[in-house]
Amino acid sequence: MPGAIEAEHLSFKYTRTLVLEDVSFCIEEGDYVGLIGPNGGGKTTLLKLVLGLEKGAGKIKLFGVLLADFKEWQKIGYLAQKSPVSQTRFPVSVEEVVLMGLCYDNAHKEPTLANLKEVYRALTQTRTRNLAKRIFSDLSVGQQQRVLLARALVSKPQLLILDEPSAAMDAASREMFFNLLGELNQKHGVTILLITHDTGEVGKYISKFMYIDKELVFFGDKQAFCQSKKVAEKLGPFAQHTIDHLHNHGHCPLGCHCDDVHGGVGHYAAHGAEAAHGGSEAQTTEKSAGNTGAGFSAAGADTPASAKDESRTAPAPQPDAENSTPAQTADGGQQ
Amino acid sequence: MMSEFLSYGFVQRGLLAGSLVAVVCALLGVFLVLKRLSLIGDGLSHVCLTGVALGLLTQTSPVYMSIPVVLAASLGVLKIMEKVKIYGDAAIGIVSAAGLALGILITALAGGFNADLFGFLFGSILTVDKTEVFLCAALLCALLLFLLFFYRDLVAASFDEAFAHTRGIKVQRLNAALIVFTSVAVVLAFKVVGIFLISALIILPPVSALLLSRTFKQVLWLSCALALLSVWSGVYLSFVFNIPSGATIILINLLFLAGAFVCSRLGRGYAKKGKKYAD
Repeated sequence: MPGAIEAEHLSFKYTRTLVLEDVSFCIEEGDYVGLIGPNGGGKTTLLKLVLGLEKGAGKIKLFGVLLADFKEWQKIGYLAQKSPVSQTRFPVSVEEVVLMGLCYDNAHKEPTLANLKEVYRALTQTRTRNLAKRIFSDLSVGQQQRVLLARALVSKPQLLILDEPSAAMDAASREMFFNLLGELNQKHGVTILLITHDTGEVGKYISKFMYIDKELVFFGDKQAFCQSKKVAEKLGPFAQHTIDHLHNHGHCPLGCHCDDVHGGVGHYAAHGAEAAHGGSEAQTTEKSAGNTGAGFSAAGADTPASAKDESRTAPAPQPDAENSTPAQTADGGQQ
Repeated sequence: MMSEFLSYGFVQRGLLAGSLVAVVCALLGVFLVLKRLSLIGDGLSHVCLTGVALGLLTQTSPVYMSIPVVLAASLGVLKIMEKVKIYGDAAIGIVSAAGLALGILITALAGGFNADLFGFLFGSILTVDKTEVFLCAALLCALLLFLLFFYRDLVAASFDEAFAHTRGIKVQRLNAALIVFTSVAVVLAFKVVGIFLISALIILPPVSALLLSRTFKQVLWLSCALALLSVWSGVYLSFVFNIPSGATIILINLLFLAGAFVCSRLGRGYAKKGKKYAD
């Protein structure tokens, strides 16, 4: 069975600057892949190559078909980091924007009732149905992103490609957003490739990590991510280990427990590492731990109240000192 | 006065050609403005100067000489944008400067400026011949067919090129078609408003329409209506007061824009008040 995305020896450079070099991977159908890496590491370029928005060296197949011959674009949903018209007045309604996500047989055909039903289904999914008749450019940036997610979902895609889409969303929208993606992946088998720094919130759904820094540093499941020496070299062992902790609600796949590792301040320490990695803000994560079922919530329940209080007042732990033990354990375990 | 005005054959041809060109520019302008390519009209109109100068030098029709020159320039803009990966406005600037410089050089070699060239620079709508009217009609028909078949693709690509690509829309081909239409429209429009003012005919009616409309189709209709009204009233006023028609048409468009701005502000004010009372 062909993968949803197969990439072989992808390379790309802007004039003389090498952005990606010899990247090969295969994302299976049903995977939920978190694409992470430093700024300028080539994450967005990789997505553009996969979608054919940039042309580089190498071979890409979508659902087993070479990109140049790929025609079934309704199978793909794409959401970019920024809204295309956030500053300018573009005279289309939200309903019309979502309609753009459907592939018409003939370009000049008027939308059918079935098309409109799909549009309203997608708007309901992203909780933007009440905005349907509004002018798209009159919405806030966060609302625009939710509408654009509806546009990406309206054709019932089998593969969703998302470029850091939650950056402009508030905490509630972000939670809705990641829960919806998780549901699409787990209940409907939608394959997801997502650039994100929100490893805390999205982490409980992600099945695999891909780490790109001009080259493919790592691609595999979460447990292997925690054990990877290469990732440790790039991220530092603290961030590597704590990202994994976020996804396992305090229980390291190698058997260590947050409280053991971080002396009862595990999740707040982990949060510090996430911020160091370029992730979400402390307040957002803390709020989600208390109010939501995503990210930290299970860990928050495990952690004693006194430990929580202590962690709030405790200074941010030093990465090297805090994490030397688990990182060494991880590497040692692998060796 | 009006019947006398309309009884002249040259006035009838001028009005007809002006109306056809105005509608073409108004329709193209909506897409160009929204794609932030509105200055392409300005750039290509400067290239017209090269075509006009070549026409005057070789004693051939400046209009026919300009069509291949401007088409080549428009394709040059596209190639620069694609291959050199620079911003669209910079690509337009490069081609515009090259066209203007070549035009001035050829004009100088041909013996300097003369009355004919002056007419092309500032417009001479009443000198339009039958063939040019026919060309304008053919261009409008071709453009209407293009819009009929690719309307949704054009709107989607104007809204978000990257996403349109992921729907299988051939965005680059659509852009190329838009720019080719624009280049022919620019050539046919320089007799109506003059080389220096063509871009205004492409930009002003769509911008006014965008201020007043809520749907894309409304923008297209209103842009055409404003462009037509400006050409008709501009030609009439220029006939009555013996003033340049091209400049009059553009000034009327500017008045429309000011009016549209005031109306849109008032509309927003009323909407805010209504919301306040409703709350």
